Amino acid sequence: MSKLRVAVDAGGTFTDVCIYHEDTQQFRVTKVPSTPSNPKQAVIDGVRRGEIDLSDVELFFHGTTVATNALITRRFPKAALVTTKGFRDVIEIRDGTKDNLWDAYEDVSGPYIRRRDRFEVTERVDYAGEVVTPLDEEEARILARKLKRRGATTVAVCFINSYANAENEKRMREILEEEIPEASVSTSSDILPEIFEHDRFNTAVANTVLGPLVSDYVKQLDDELSAGGYDNDLLLLHSGGGSMTPAMAKHFPVRLAASGIAAGAIAAKHIAEQCGYQNAVGLDMGGTSTDISLIHDGELRVTKQWGVEYGHPIVFPSIEVLTVGAGGGSLAHIDIAGALRNGPQSAGADPGPACYERGGTEPTNTDANLALNRLGTVLAGGALELNREKATQVIEERVGQPLSLDTAEAAQAVIKVANANMADAVRLVSIRRGLDPRDFALIAFGGAGALHGAEVAKELGIPAVIVPPNPGVTSAMGCLLVDIQHDLSMMYTAAAESADLEDLERQFRSLEDEAVDRLRHEGVADADVVLQRGISMRYQGQWRSLQVAMGSGEASLEDAIEMFHQEHERQFSFRQNALPVEIYQLHLRAVGKTPRPEFPRSERQPGAQAEPHAHREVYFEGQWYQTPVYDRTTLPVGFEFSGPAIIDQLDSTTVVPPDTVASIDEWKNIRIQLIQSGEKA
Amino acid sequence: MIMAHTYKDNALDPVTFEVLKNAFATSVDLMSEQILRTCYSFVIYSRDFSSALCDAEGNTVMQGSGDIAVHVGTLHFQCKAVLEEFAGDIYPGDVFAINDPYRGGTHLNDVSFIRPIFSEGQIIGFAQNKGHWADIGGSVPGSFDVNASTHFSEGLRITPVRVWREGVFLHDVAQLLVSNTRAPAQALGDLQAQAEATAVCEREVLRLVDKYSKATVVAAMQETQDYVERVVLKSLAGMPKGEWETVDYIDADPALGEGMVPIRIKLTLDGNGIHYDLSGSAPAVSTFLNSSYGTTHSAIYAGTKTFFPDVPLNSGFYRAVTANIGEEGSVVNAGWPHAVTGFCSGPYEKVMNGIFELWSGVMPKRAMACAFNLEYLLIGGNDGRTGSGDYFMWYDWMAGGWGGRQTKDGSSATSPVFGTGLAVQPVEGQERLNPVLTMCHEISMDSAGPGRFRGGCGVEKGGKLTQVDKTVMSYCCDRGRSVTWGVNGGLPSVPHGVWINKGAPDEKYLGATFSNVTVRSGDTFTRPSAGGGGFGDPLEREAEAVLEDVIDGYVSVERAECDYGVVIQVNDPDIDDYEINAERTAKAREWIRANRREWLQTPPEDVAKQYRDGELNVLDVIRRYGVVLDWGTGELLEKSTQQYRDSLAKRSSCYWT
Repeated sequence: MSKLRVAVDAGGTFTDVCIYHEDTQQFRVTKVPSTPSNPKQAVIDGVRRGEIDLSDVELFFHGTTVATNALITRRFPKAALVTTKGFRDVIEIRDGTKDNLWDAYEDVSGPYIRRRDRFEVTERVDYAGEVVTPLDEEEARILARKLKRRGATTVAVCFINSYANAENEKRMREILEEEIPEASVSTSSDILPEIFEHDRFNTAVANTVLGPLVSDYVKQLDDELSAGGYDNDLLLLHSGGGSMTPAMAKHFPVRLAASGIAAGAIAAKHIAEQCGYQNAVGLDMGGTSTDISLIHDGELRVTKQWGVEYGHPIVFPSIEVLTVGAGGGSLAHIDIAGALRNGPQSAGADPGPACYERGGTEPTNTDANLALNRLGTVLAGGALELNREKATQVIEERVGQPLSLDTAEAAQAVIKVANANMADAVRLVSIRRGLDPRDFALIAFGGAGALHGAEVAKELGIPAVIVPPNPGVTSAMGCLLVDIQHDLSMMYTAAAESADLEDLERQFRSLEDEAVDRLRHEGVADADVVLQRGISMRYQGQWRSLQVAMGSGEASLEDAIEMFHQEHERQFSFRQNALPVEIYQLHLRAVGKTPRPEFPRSERQPGAQAEPHAHREVYFEGQWYQTPVYDRTTLPVGFEFSGPAIIDQLDSTTVVPPDTVASIDEWKNIRIQLIQSGEKA
Repeated sequence: MIMAHTYKDNALDPVTFEVLKNAFATSVDLMSEQILRTCYSFVIYSRDFSSALCDAEGNTVMQGSGDIAVHVGTLHFQCKAVLEEFAGDIYPGDVFAINDPYRGGTHLNDVSFIRPIFSEGQIIGFAQNKGHWADIGGSVPGSFDVNASTHFSEGLRITPVRVWREGVFLHDVAQLLVSNTRAPAQALGDLQAQAEATAVCEREVLRLVDKYSKATVVAAMQETQDYVERVVLKSLAGMPKGEWETVDYIDADPALGEGMVPIRIKLTLDGNGIHYDLSGSAPAVSTFLNSSYGTTHSAIYAGTKTFFPDVPLNSGFYRAVTANIGEEGSVVNAGWPHAVTGFCSGPYEKVMNGIFELWSGVMPKRAMACAFNLEYLLIGGNDGRTGSGDYFMWYDWMAGGWGGRQTKDGSSATSPVFGTGLAVQPVEGQERLNPVLTMCHEISMDSAGPGRFRGGCGVEKGGKLTQVDKTVMSYCCDRGRSVTWGVNGGLPSVPHGVWINKGAPDEKYLGATFSNVTVRSGDTFTRPSAGGGGFGDPLEREAEAVLEDVIDGYVSVERAECDYGVVIQVNDPDIDDYEINAERTAKAREWIRANRREWLQTPPEDVAKQYRDGELNVLDVIRRYGVVLDWGTGELLEKSTQQYRDSLAKRSSCYWT
């Protein structure tokens, strides 16, 4: 009997199921429609469609939009916030800023708990953790009874400076638990013991409102899978690029917000590793948008400035993915002053591009690709037929005529603007880390990534492009590649030069004890546990801190300080050896390794050949080229060819432009090498 | 429909143009990314900075998409000032500093760093970053000296000066600059960080030159400006032509006694552009609430841009929007040596809100009443918590309410219109750094100006000084008298002003602008940020909306009745059980409707007396009787009251049925 690993990645429209057979090392992928009103159903449907016998499954991974959707729609159980007197509105005042700086009619969305459900209690702790005002227990008890009358089922306790001393929060929780035993109560110091009230409060509040909902969902799904014969823990993807078990998801449901977003980035990282690149850009281009991720020194960039919506931070580490409004369905238009623009408005799936003939009347990137013959008229093995005349017509009318360009020129203009916009977005992402994208490989996937990848790379001066075997379902595969992972942190402020090393070691140990405890609780064997310490530091007086890795042993702090200087110089172009360095936070990433799928590898056959199944005229850089069209399934490992070429497959089309050479590598990736103008023969 | 000639007139093909225009925006945003991550000043970190790419003549090609509004339209003036001073003497690797408010700068705290970009031995542009230093010297910490009448007590004035010469850091010059601030190490950090940020933009522009050629990039810089001008002019095509006028006020010029200081704005749309005339505004005031020409233009551009939110900002916009700001020496065109640091609380947002009001008439679907006025509270002295008594500076600003709109309530607890990206600071961060314990930071009930769509809610923030020594407090605000107004029948919100030891026997009202008031350990203080003004007649607000506001504590049961005529019966507040008494509501509304014009005619002295006797509260006085008092003593301010009633008549009562 075959042992399986299964990943179910539930998206907004489709749920992707990726099945890995351990003995044959084969992947199978299937898609079912998502079922937002009963999200569990799509998972079950996917299992059924994939003809999976759950008792064969060794590991079951799941990315879910349950938490994200609940946050966006604000459909929560009856929740309440209990806070320090004078601070009822921390989550409503936020930091006051607007997302859209100039549009006075566009507001930031409202808080997760309305004002009527936020209550104050007399208590106060100061910055140093001293109790300035003890918790007024009588008041607290009266409030608890009031919350009971109001039917609160989940309560967040968020007190000012509780990161420095959690005593009052804990006592408040006890009182609430005594008075409302049926409610779940969490404290901000427990969820995220970090400074800055809005970040901590909002993270705790998001966690609180999601609690009952996520636990229910996870429990039901877990039960159902168990009933079907799966006898391991369900592994839920979290935003930090790892997974967690149902037990932990119950404590930290907010980590499931944007559960699936990291999957594409993880897949990109895997492909980069496979191909021997330490640095890579992931370009995951779909119908309405493109997700850009960055891999540097073999690591994905992690951010703590993150949220499902602007103004509502969730301060757990999250894989940084920048989403830009450029996709196959992005609309090209001429603006009021006669300039050609592309996106961020999109035709979406409905009405879709004009060539879909579902009522779309505006030219999209898909229409432009079709007009240039880069895209064929028959897609998905015949499931979708595109009308090239329609595409040509809208391009001509909406872009060509106004700009006095012929249709091909106009379509090329549309594509070029889209590619330049994506390239600009990649530049912004890379400068955030002080990196030069030219040192990177570009990994192009998603439904439209392989159509645009090579030209985006050219725009960025990136020499190498990799298109994985199944670009359209690469994200789902990413779900199979995650470990169990916890991210812990604590505040620790001290002058780095004179820090008490023993105390520092003690604090790290306590984080490690808690992490190991969690992992054991999740059934991870000690041998599979990997702990990585990190430390945030800053120059005294600076507002932002920088996290670097931290080892153990006597020289570890010294090394970390030097690394901080180096990292500061690399990211920000200067270092200041003379200024005192301050320790700010301690971090711990605790990983419970899960077995990785083995990817089938074939040896390159020298002189491997393939025949195109067709030729067609394709437009590149101002001229039509007679271009071979290959069926990807017929391309053998080791096959080398030069652009221009088009490669069709079920879930994607790859464009290999002129002035490139390409090959099929041992993992069946298409590798496209750009020939810089100077190197041309 | 589309003008094919528009691009044909230009040298660049549409793709190259679009790609370069967006690349310029990216090159500027990269500067912002960089500065945000390297700055030392928490004020810069809170996004009080801006970046621009200017062309060889100093005209702005692109300004940062996340920039603070208040710097908009000043960076080209500063760049031109550097050119005037150094033309012919500028080399690759040079970096210049400038903050001179009399050369197009904002106020002394905003220091610009400007780096020339050379290609083939020729200047093709300048990269500029302007950031707010936490201190720039002068007589008070934070350099906000309310009592300054000239710039000499405001801090260090930096006329264009070279800080790097051909890549060599001129440490003597830099030392001179930072040594005139209270936190030299921090200032030096910001100086380095800002100069480095401009190098990021230079690198990007040179990359573009490499790829597209110098001539193409230079042409695109010009076309990007032409493009923006075209966008604005085309947008005006469907709009009415004509003239519109309004007046807003600064609270007072202390040298002239009581009486609000008018700022008059006229808007003309003639089909050829957007023209403003501010020449009817008052002479410069004796305090620092003046604006120099740079910031007045900035207010004009920022106010106008609010109605064209998608148009990129550059000198093309500044060509389409013109202004006559009158002779030098006025409150909106204060020349040397008038103090101008408080422009942001003084004329700046008056001009912006006045422009909002004028455009609300032209473009009703974007209409908005007055937003709360920017305010800064500064407490500086020695921190008694440390043995060494280190200097501390508690420098605080608040979010507040924006005006009610044609289709919805105003936005609550939002950053000032002066800079909507300006983040309020976390209390927990402030408490670590300063001996100030914040006792309250929350939305204040009844702070929103009543209207069919009410203003957004304001915020109350107060605290206690724990262990301080030799400590003073200053406040840079306004609208203690020129209260945040409503439009189309809407009502004003609440007056600004700081109280010390409120509720204690020694309580004191310090007003909405003051400087260097001595404070001691154990003193408490508190102040509100105003809500936004109301839009439309509050008697036409749906009673259910008022009920919801009462349940959330945005509006009290009392004010629901006084301001909206909605009578709400409280059954069981613990479980949000309130209900509207429809019959009494109808009566209350009828009664208010019948009497409200007359209330505004009540002899002001009678109102003042009732206030002093505790029979009326501030909101009654402001909203019902239209009277302005010294909120501490209850003394009547007669002239201000007359001006205030004029404003109410024009903005509110004339719309009532």
